[in-house]
Amino acid sequence: MIMKFEKYFRPESLQEAIDLMKEYKGEYKLLAGGTDVVIRLKAHALRVKTIIDISRVPELSGVRIEDGKLYVGANTRLMDLSKNPDVVNSEWEILAECAGHVSSTQVRNVATLAGNNVNASPSADTTPALLMCDAVVHIAGPDGKRDVAVDDFLLGPGKVDLKDGEIVVGFTFPKQKENSQAAYIKFAIRGDTDIAIVNAGARIGLGADGKVSDARLVLGAVAPRSIRMKEVEDFLIGKKATEAIIEEAAAMARDSITPITDQRATAEYRKQMAYVNLRNAMTEALKKLA
Amino acid sequence: MSNTTENANNYIGKSPIRVDAYDKATGKGLFASDYFKLIPDLLRVKVLRSPVAHCKITKLDVSKAEAIPGVERIFTVDRSPFHMERLPEQVRFPIDGECIWAGQPIAIIAADTLEHAEDALEAIDLEYEELPHVLNVYEALDPNPKSVVDPNHGRSGTIDESNPWAKIGRLDVVDSKFAGEGVSPNIIGNYVLDKGNVEEAMKKADIVVEGEFCTGRRKHTHLELSSAIVTYNSDDSITCYGNGCGIHGVIKSAFVNIFELPENKIRTIQPYIGGSFGDRLAPYIEVLTAMMALFLKKSCGYQYTRAETFEGAPFAWPVYSRVKFGATKDGRVIAQDYDCVEEIGAIQNNVSYTGRLSSSGAVCVYDIDNIHMDTAAVATNCMPVGAFRGLGCPESEFGMEVMMNKLADDLGISPVEIRAKNFIKNGGHNGYGELVTSIGVEKCLRACADAIDLETPPEQDGSVWKRGKGCGVGGKQNTPLGRAEAIVRYYSDSSVEVLISCDENGMGAMTVMAQIAASVLELPIENVKVIKGDSIVTPFDNYSASSRTTYTTGNAVKIAAEEVKDKLQEAAAREVGVHKSKVIIHGSKAKILGSDIQEIDLATLFKNTSPYDQGNWGLMRFSPVEGHGVFCPAPIRKWGHDGLTKRMWNWFQYAASAMEVAVNEETGQVRILKIATSADTGNPINPKTVEGQIEGGSILAASYMLMEEPIFNEHGAIINKGLSDYRIADVLMTPKNDNFISLINPDPLPDGPFGAKGMAESITIPIAPSLSEAIYQAVGVRPMYFPMTSERILKLIQEKKAKEAENK
Repeated sequence: MIMKFEKYFRPESLQEAIDLMKEYKGEYKLLAGGTDVVIRLKAHALRVKTIIDISRVPELSGVRIEDGKLYVGANTRLMDLSKNPDVVNSEWEILAECAGHVSSTQVRNVATLAGNNVNASPSADTTPALLMCDAVVHIAGPDGKRDVAVDDFLLGPGKVDLKDGEIVVGFTFPKQKENSQAAYIKFAIRGDTDIAIVNAGARIGLGADGKVSDARLVLGAVAPRSIRMKEVEDFLIGKKATEAIIEEAAAMARDSITPITDQRATAEYRKQMAYVNLRNAMTEALKKLA
Repeated sequence: MSNTTENANNYIGKSPIRVDAYDKATGKGLFASDYFKLIPDLLRVKVLRSPVAHCKITKLDVSKAEAIPGVERIFTVDRSPFHMERLPEQVRFPIDGECIWAGQPIAIIAADTLEHAEDALEAIDLEYEELPHVLNVYEALDPNPKSVVDPNHGRSGTIDESNPWAKIGRLDVVDSKFAGEGVSPNIIGNYVLDKGNVEEAMKKADIVVEGEFCTGRRKHTHLELSSAIVTYNSDDSITCYGNGCGIHGVIKSAFVNIFELPENKIRTIQPYIGGSFGDRLAPYIEVLTAMMALFLKKSCGYQYTRAETFEGAPFAWPVYSRVKFGATKDGRVIAQDYDCVEEIGAIQNNVSYTGRLSSSGAVCVYDIDNIHMDTAAVATNCMPVGAFRGLGCPESEFGMEVMMNKLADDLGISPVEIRAKNFIKNGGHNGYGELVTSIGVEKCLRACADAIDLETPPEQDGSVWKRGKGCGVGGKQNTPLGRAEAIVRYYSDSSVEVLISCDENGMGAMTVMAQIAASVLELPIENVKVIKGDSIVTPFDNYSASSRTTYTTGNAVKIAAEEVKDKLQEAAAREVGVHKSKVIIHGSKAKILGSDIQEIDLATLFKNTSPYDQGNWGLMRFSPVEGHGVFCPAPIRKWGHDGLTKRMWNWFQYAASAMEVAVNEETGQVRILKIATSADTGNPINPKTVEGQIEGGSILAASYMLMEEPIFNEHGAIINKGLSDYRIADVLMTPKNDNFISLINPDPLPDGPFGAKGMAESITIPIAPSLSEAIYQAVGVRPMYFPMTSERILKLIQEKKAKEAENK
């Protein structure tokens, strides 16, 4: 079908974008990569009067390391992120890895990191990376700037902590714990071009005693949003990560989730796959540490 | 034919560059969708469709929609100048306000732009009262079903008399468990085959195996969207540019029959088209577009959305089958008891369904003395079905092949040898009683088994991925679908035109026809230009289906080229003064026997057009020598209540496959590691295009076996009508290079052109049973229905483990 909207703007600065959002409050949609917005506009699933194309806003771009932290601009293309030398082979490598799992080359060439996250799909591929790295979301709006932890930013399917008139500017990834590694598995029927039945991410840090000192476990597509398995993380901390403990942890995660049945899988299969894939992700993270 | 060693231009069995290669690779070739940009003042058509499987319309108000600027007209049954009940079944509007499938057309819009047409679509005020629906065979077969679906709904239960295919196979009385008192009113046809005495033979059998099978509903999923543009011309004629099949036999004849137009007022043009796998064999989009063009007297264009290809075009029919074999302990099958039900959806579409089409696969491979088949077709409130690559044979043979593998496993005989013991042999007869003159299935199977070393168990690596190997075979009838004609023109400079009307769905038909013409005329293939698909220029051809093109159109081209050769022989003989039997044509030259003139250039036979040379007789430059070839398969013979006949179909194509898979016992995922598939093509005209068909067919079948499935909501409408959630295999699922083996093992067909026959359907048949067996060998569970998703395979594995634990 044909996209329908009345006005289209392409601001050249963050201030201009914020002014436009203020002027067209309640009736605009931001457009960056367009891989979700354009499709929903075409399907008439999204109906808005005004499109504000933020793809040319300079303040939204850039990837840099400052004070040992990684900063990624909102408009960073997933393809660029997946190949960025500052990210690949860094302590935030998992971000590049997750970005590389988003759909196809064509989609990654235009889709942005902020888009993949503000879309707030429970099966999003980069959200687990943000959660595993404790990323902070930088937001700008008419009343100035504010920062939110990613875990607080995500509210539910399609819902994030972003008020009318606000825009995500970028993300900061803090310094990661010493001796920690992360792994991510996307489990889908037809590989990366498909939407995940379940995705699983695990970051595990080991202390000098060889016991788990840090754990961030994430499951996607099993709840209204990507979720941290905090109880399971607490269970792991202080323990030696044996095969049996890892299996027990994965089973705990499986038993704590209540996924839905949809056209991709039944709830039961999702639970089983959450177990298998979270276990495999933890095992892989440990393998990287060894 | 001079197919001798002297012919330097024999292209049979060679693979020259496709004649359409440059056009398609450079984008110069036009496809149907390109014409939307080329035809001026085109109205755009959109259709409002039923959102639920069964309902009674209580309100249908288009006044607001029609008032939108740019909207030309909206037709509904009540406000159409055309008697819409005359539309064919597949585009039937609800005649008395009752919609019988989700996707059934309700209102049709023509507007100046697509945008205005879409606006109108949303502005139509539709209210309805939902009625109970039946969606699957078991519900539909209930003697008191929730919904009675009359496929002739709105036509007083009569068969469409204008459709000669509609009556085939209908018998008033058959001794069937699916006929008579107390059966579901949704059963709309039966076919029974009785050969020998199955009951007695089963008693004598040393071993009996039995299973129930279901093949899911699958969509053709060709990537090119169905399109039609119909221009209304100043002489009240219409021209249709579209990607539907059969410019003469399907589209033009539909226009003539439905709209009662003179035959010379219709021109149908088929530009380059992509694959359609049977989806576009029945006219739907063309008919709707032509209706709007004719009654608005304006040019109209209509292109389906992807969603419409799921709800407004046919699905492949699911087949539910029960297979029972009785065999001797050395593996000879002596009895086959076979039931199947084909589910046809809400209307009859373009053929008559009785179970006969599907079950044709179950009697053409093995030589079994005692066969009982009882088959039926049942209607449901699903979107109507239509032909799909294989016409029910991949579905009907799935159970046969799985049971053959089980029999081999149970008896401890190799799956290759047990089949070899049972194959029909060339010169033998199939289950109907038809003489079999070409059957290369055993060669195909042995080649595939060798290619993957089937008899050696795979090496296991100790991981959760378990490996297994399996094989299967298949046979598919060629339905004798009428006549094909061809015109071949030979010009003075030995350039040649071949005029044909078969469909080129990308399979390479145009190249094959060029090869045949070049080989007969002994000319370089570069001299041959193929002109295709314009009904006022190119001669009659019914349509390309049932793998008939190489055989039927190929024979017509060969006959036409031979007629050209005969005329050239005659002209050369007159010039020299010998009998034409003493003239041999080799390309642009004639060799003469019994004269002092030993050879002449054919070019010299063509007179100039100057006033000094002109004349009323003889050959002339710019006026080519023309041959007209007509070829039609022989008529079939009516069968009796036992379903037997000496000729029900034409010839049969065969295929085999063997593969190695890995199955993840924790997730149920399946990976094809290595696959070999072989086709019995008869003598292949172009082996490269055959290999393309083998690869494409193998993946297409693996895709629907493993993944493809429409999902319905509580209203009976498909929710995954798009390619993101109706998944088809992509290139990443395809085994690479050396692990994807295409083999050709021909048994020449005596009546085929140069011994060739079609092959592109049978190739899909052996894939599913091979997969099923390989999965069984890997993890000990035998999938018996489509699609075998990871989730379902895991469930089978877990059920097996639970059972084993119970038995301990």
